[in-house]
Amino acid sequence: MENLKSISIKYGFIIVMIASFVGFGLAEPAFWGWHNLFSILLGVTIYGILALGVTFTLVTDGLDLSVGSTAAMSVMMASYFMVVMEMSGMAALVTCLVIGALIGLMNGLLIVKVKIPDLLATLGTMFLIQGLQLIPSGGRSIGTGMMLPNGDEAMGEFTEGFLYLGQGRVFDLIPTPVLFMLALGLIVYVVLEHTRWGRVFYAIGGNAEAARLVGANVDRYRIMAYVLSGLIASFGGVLLAARVGRGDVSSGSGLLLDAVGAALIGFAVLGARKPNAFGTIVGAIFVGMLLNGLTMLNLPYFWQDFIKGSVLVAALAFTFSLAKQR
Amino acid sequence: MAEQQGIEVRNIGKSFGATRALDDVSFDFRPGEIFAMVGANGAGKSTLIKIICGYYPDYEGEILIDGEPVRFSSPHDATAKGIATVHQIINQGVVQTMTVRENLALAELLSGEGGSVLYQPKKIDARAREIAEKMGLQDIDFDQEVSELEQSERQMIAIARALATDPKLLILDEPTSSISERETEFLFETLFRLKEMGVSILYVSHRLHEIERIADRVGVIRDGQFGGVLERPFNVKQIVTAMVGELDQNIDRKSPVIAAETSPKLEIRDLVIEEGQKPLNLKIHAGEIVGITGLIGAGKSELASVLFGLAQPVSGEILVDGVPIHSRTVKEAIDNGIFMVPEDRANNAVVPEFSIRQNITMPFLKRFFSNPLGILKHGFESEEATRMVQAMGVKCENENSNIGELSGGNQQKVVVARWLMTTFNLLILDEPFQGVDIRSRHDINTYIHENRGSRAILMLAADLDEVLEVADRVVVMNHGMIVGEQHISSIDRETLLHWTSQSPDELQLQA
Repeated sequence: MENLKSISIKYGFIIVMIASFVGFGLAEPAFWGWHNLFSILLGVTIYGILALGVTFTLVTDGLDLSVGSTAAMSVMMASYFMVVMEMSGMAALVTCLVIGALIGLMNGLLIVKVKIPDLLATLGTMFLIQGLQLIPSGGRSIGTGMMLPNGDEAMGEFTEGFLYLGQGRVFDLIPTPVLFMLALGLIVYVVLEHTRWGRVFYAIGGNAEAARLVGANVDRYRIMAYVLSGLIASFGGVLLAARVGRGDVSSGSGLLLDAVGAALIGFAVLGARKPNAFGTIVGAIFVGMLLNGLTMLNLPYFWQDFIKGSVLVAALAFTFSLAKQR
Repeated sequence: MAEQQGIEVRNIGKSFGATRALDDVSFDFRPGEIFAMVGANGAGKSTLIKIICGYYPDYEGEILIDGEPVRFSSPHDATAKGIATVHQIINQGVVQTMTVRENLALAELLSGEGGSVLYQPKKIDARAREIAEKMGLQDIDFDQEVSELEQSERQMIAIARALATDPKLLILDEPTSSISERETEFLFETLFRLKEMGVSILYVSHRLHEIERIADRVGVIRDGQFGGVLERPFNVKQIVTAMVGELDQNIDRKSPVIAAETSPKLEIRDLVIEEGQKPLNLKIHAGEIVGITGLIGAGKSELASVLFGLAQPVSGEILVDGVPIHSRTVKEAIDNGIFMVPEDRANNAVVPEFSIRQNITMPFLKRFFSNPLGILKHGFESEEATRMVQAMGVKCENENSNIGELSGGNQQKVVVARWLMTTFNLLILDEPFQGVDIRSRHDINTYIHENRGSRAILMLAADLDEVLEVADRVVVMNHGMIVGEQHISSIDRETLLHWTSQSPDELQLQA
């Protein structure tokens, strides 16, 4: 009995995941096709990457609500830099990452120095950035040939190299964004689980005062968590811009909830009960797989948010009830 | 009416899985007596209390109230039948954002007694006054918010409310662990008054000197079993012996002999912590353990903060081996070889999500992460953690167990152990025995004495007896000043207590 419980805590989520994988495939063999499997992964990459940033802030007992709009900002800025300012793809990429890191720095400073509670501070920046990103383009989507305020046409375009970031396929099969997500997931995993910094991040999340009294620079680590979150979110935005090939004003919507959801679902994976990189990626993939499978079985699209919410609530209930009693 | 026989617990037993927490324990609590219950951490005290106050409805044996067997289905049921409990953490017993009045009448306020959902100020006020009167609390300002009160006043409110149910038995779990000496006196006066009113009091505490003073009888639990009942007269030594068996209490202090000419390991020279205070001077020699005692607010913690880089002094110097050091941050203090085990373990020292190993290795993580990539060396970390766990005698399954599974005393061993992995110049132990059972105290004490080497150790505690247990030299602080010191070989408690309790005016006269 005790054994059964500890097994279900540890592997329950994975078992459910494998079962649905098998179930969907039996019901609809096309589900198992390579092409479909990679399209599932491709579908989760953007918010999966954002969720990795959210994981950093969750580990330090905070939460970054501005990741969605930071990513959207990145989409608009990347487009603006290339289409209007005719910058190179590399320059656009680097500038976007810098902007993302700066947004994170602002979040970190507001939380650590001004001492605004994390949710409120990042909610504030979320609004701020959502508004800010509309200003350069006058509230319109950005694409080659768009009319500029002075009457000229924007002549720049997305460079081929930049587009490859979002649209390329390695071996004509694996989408490049998927590789980026997996690589980033691996890096975040190693940093959090196997480096000194990761240990300090977790210590701060567990008891910040104890961490401070063993000499950790708690403020600096906290700020760093938000900088990493902003940096990763802006990278997610860059990939999104590269995939779509234009600066769509509505591209950021929904990203925040999906990202936070994936990171929270990650608590349930392997009975971790804490934010962790592996769980975050698995959580993101699980949600994507579920939506893909259900859509194949003709679930109407408007059910999707309901399904995501149900998975999140179920995963959290599982984490905090069953796993707590061990 | 039933005869007043008080409350009796008979042949109580309780198991958690394979662990036998309590086995055949019997006590009786008589009306109008203070019955102290003692036992090392993990002996089964809290299990017994939880059974008596209805928290564990499932147990062996029986509870009798005035000779009648009863069985409680819930804490609420136990309260209704005459058992009131004031738990250790005072702030869980009061609502800080409400007024004194509302807190006193909280039960009525929340249950809406009288069938009304409306807030009835007059009724609440009347009930609050009635409850306050019983405790002699009329002088307290009813409109004050509880968050503005002192700890002892909050505790009085919690006790007053417990008494509002007219209990036969009042259980106080570690009531003095977070209040000052003066507040403790006030609590004792209240207890004596309750005693006269015929209430049985079950008093659970680690502070044996308090028990020696106030208890009528002492019940002992030892490893989950009945360990006897001591009748007056008894003294602390007898209580300790009953609790843990014959323990070698006289650890070999090996107090170093300090030649007059040797230069100190650590010197505090003309240190002014707060503007306008008299400068502090203190020398600690290599291998010496200095204990500073003094009431809460005497300036002990402030001194520790300055030494550990948490605060900056107004003026003055701190010297290690004759060389002035400056610690602007905790990290710099640690780099200067000054370590601190902070007071209040749960809030300041333990990371509850971490394993014992992770808690031990926190301060010196760099040692376990190979450069340049900063990747963890698992094997080495486990080895070092195991070494410390064994050296300190931490009772646990292994170093990867969660720290939350340990008793308070064993958690304290872990947070002390984290600083002992490497050499240092000064180790500060701030209230190291808060909520630590006697055996763990002994283990920590022995380890520190045996491994002091040429280091300096500074121990801070409000409890004089705790300081005497550890220190080679006792220094008394009072109102931010060092008012006197004695070597352990010539301790005069009267003088020490006099120094501790002098008023600011008396101190002014001497200065």
